[in-house]
Amino acid sequence: MRTWDRRRSTLLLLIAAGAALLAVSVAGGLLTEQAMATDFSRRDLAPCWGYPFGTDWMGRDMLARTLAGLSLSIRIGVLTAGISAAVALILGTVCAISGGWADAAVSWVIDLVMGIPHILLIILISIACGRGLWGVTAGVALSHWTSLARVVRGEVLQLHQAPYLRMARKLGVSQGKLLRLHLLPHLLPQLLAGLILQFPHAILHEASVTFLGFGLSPEQPAIGIVLEESMGYLALGRWWLALFPGLSLVLVVALFALLGERARLLLSPASAQG
Amino acid sequence: MKRSVLLLPVLVVSLLAGCQRGPVGSFSPEPGHSRPLTVVLPVSAEPAAGFDPAFGWGAGEHVHEPLIQSTLTVTNPDLTIGYDLATGMEVGEDGLTWTVTMRDDARFTDGEALTAGDVAFTYNTVKNTSSVNDLTMLDRAEAVGDTTVVFHMARPFSIWPYTMAAVGILPEHAYDPATYGTAPIGSGRYMLKQWDRGQQIILEYNPDYYGPQPRMEQVTILFMEEDAAFLAVQAGQADLAYTSAPYAGQDVEGYSLLSVRTVDDQGINLPVRNNPLTADPLVRQAINMGIDRQQMIDHVLSGYGTPAYSVCDGLPWYSPVNEVEHDPEGAKALLDERDWLPGADGVRTKGGVRAALTIHYAAGDPVRQGIAAELANQLRELGIETDVKGVGWDTAYEDALSNPLVWGWGAHTPMELYNIYHTAPGSDSALYSPYANKKADELMDAALACTDLEESYSLWQAAQEEIAGDVPWVWLVNVDHLYWVRDGLHVAEQKIHPHGHGWSVVNNIDRWSWE
Repeated sequence: MRTWDRRRSTLLLLIAAGAALLAVSVAGGLLTEQAMATDFSRRDLAPCWGYPFGTDWMGRDMLARTLAGLSLSIRIGVLTAGISAAVALILGTVCAISGGWADAAVSWVIDLVMGIPHILLIILISIACGRGLWGVTAGVALSHWTSLARVVRGEVLQLHQAPYLRMARKLGVSQGKLLRLHLLPHLLPQLLAGLILQFPHAILHEASVTFLGFGLSPEQPAIGIVLEESMGYLALGRWWLALFPGLSLVLVVALFALLGERARLLLSPASAQG
Repeated sequence: MKRSVLLLPVLVVSLLAGCQRGPVGSFSPEPGHSRPLTVVLPVSAEPAAGFDPAFGWGAGEHVHEPLIQSTLTVTNPDLTIGYDLATGMEVGEDGLTWTVTMRDDARFTDGEALTAGDVAFTYNTVKNTSSVNDLTMLDRAEAVGDTTVVFHMARPFSIWPYTMAAVGILPEHAYDPATYGTAPIGSGRYMLKQWDRGQQIILEYNPDYYGPQPRMEQVTILFMEEDAAFLAVQAGQADLAYTSAPYAGQDVEGYSLLSVRTVDDQGINLPVRNNPLTADPLVRQAINMGIDRQQMIDHVLSGYGTPAYSVCDGLPWYSPVNEVEHDPEGAKALLDERDWLPGADGVRTKGGVRAALTIHYAAGDPVRQGIAAELANQLRELGIETDVKGVGWDTAYEDALSNPLVWGWGAHTPMELYNIYHTAPGSDSALYSPYANKKADELMDAALACTDLEESYSLWQAAQEEIAGDVPWVWLVNVDHLYWVRDGLHVAEQKIHPHGHGWSVVNNIDRWSWE
């Protein structure tokens, strides 16, 4: 009797990682106020019990700042994943089903967007959207759909030629029913895994854009801003300002990557029962 | 992308530390005045347009002595006027002509004599080309003989001697605007020997200088970011390097900290229109007296600063009327008196309007961010709900028309008062923050029209007395300029530094010495 198979351990890992990320996101959201609070009486504290991540020169709690920053990143990641999945699904299916000029047009748009250096595209969109939180969110969320759209399109094209689908068409099954009953269930694993794997990209792009100083202003807690600020104090030996936020960022990104990978294993028929 | 984000901090730091340290060799300290001197200034101090007074060298917001060129006048350590090339000056009764006589023994470093013709040429050129040095009050300069210059003014300008202190004299016979900035010929204490853009300049003393021989024969000036400057000091590669309050607590063997008093003046504007809270003069007074400036200095500047009450603290035209006692109880009483009454959450309201302010500051300037944060903390205690917001300069001027913005001001000329408080031409308000005071305008106009410099000071003071009750700006702190100085190097007495942590410290580098 194998009670502890891989499927189960994968599921458990998935739940644990998801819970950890959710916890960071919620905690950070609640701590935003605290992350901006300055208190000069507790400035430059090295990590201690009261402030596990230390404080900076304005006495801001780095744990609160890190969590709030990561929470912002994760929320932007959710939005990005949602928008990307929706756009990818619509465009991918449209071009695969309609074929012909629609396919050519959509493929051309995908190539066009992918042709622009990604970080530049994000900066352009965020400036066009009036910068600030809204600009960064729009910039990151609206620029990640291309790769997923391409994957979905390829998948649909391939499924389209599958014998059971050709048979269904010959039997006169309607386009809508075809999509709902036969295409979507097959697309779902790819889409879900791709969706989760959007997070690391979105988070790191958000971090780099704020690191470069586009978008959010320096009092706001974003992980890029936290890292950018910390650099000025490395020469002074304030290592905790960079180390903990940096590690946390890596950890969150790694967790999402793991989550995506496991979800794919679990959902894909070839590996799900392994 | 993933990887680059993680590596970026490390890369940038190692670049800063690595590259910029390269060109300086370390040398063993030898006594004697011929030892070369290495000074580290901020990257922003490197003049993009070169060392050409016609393109702003020495002038503008961060005024300093041009070193390579001579000027007619200089500012003394107490900010009164002294002479460099000039030997005397006289202003006509109507204030519309300035006649300046000058010495005849000054030579450019190419051997040509410096004459009144060069001076006239310089002023006419600067007037036509410079966007940094404002000479709109000058009509034209005219040479009368070799040693007399007559300035024909477009309007009376009593503080013309302060303007003359910021105009380096160009050689008429060897001036080409295309090349002069990189290969300047002057008559000043130093010659530009080498300029490695983005890195350093090397100055060598001018053996034909008409004044006392410079005691420092060769000076290398490096342009570095703040953390790289600190590392250079730690490595013993600089004799003097700029630094700031966060670094001041460090101990570096063989160096001590030099703190120079400044009018590097940080303050906020309080719009007298467009903002329901700051529109009330008594509220503005309450804010002015409710702020603990010394606490701000201790918190944000680690104690390296002086309280600011005006844009010209400690300068000859300063009026003590600006000084205000820290009185939080009095401030609260004033707010109560104006019916801004504290609610259940401690925030004051009046007729349903919450007493709220958003302090804007220039993003990317940690000192101003700190000042904004500390100010917000202090204002909250008065019952004003205060946020801070970092903004770019592209939108800051617009924001300041309805919100307080943290500004840095402070120059070696009373024009600073005029620029901030005087109604802008063709408008009903001062330029940077909504405010107008007719009486103060008249006093400042009279100060400019005055033909006696001393007397003009008292008119500038009268203008400040007129403005003091209105509190359109609240001045907070003068940020001390900090430097690491190698033991044994004696830095000559500094005049009060203006806004801008840059060239001011080397104004008198020719008089520094080694022990």
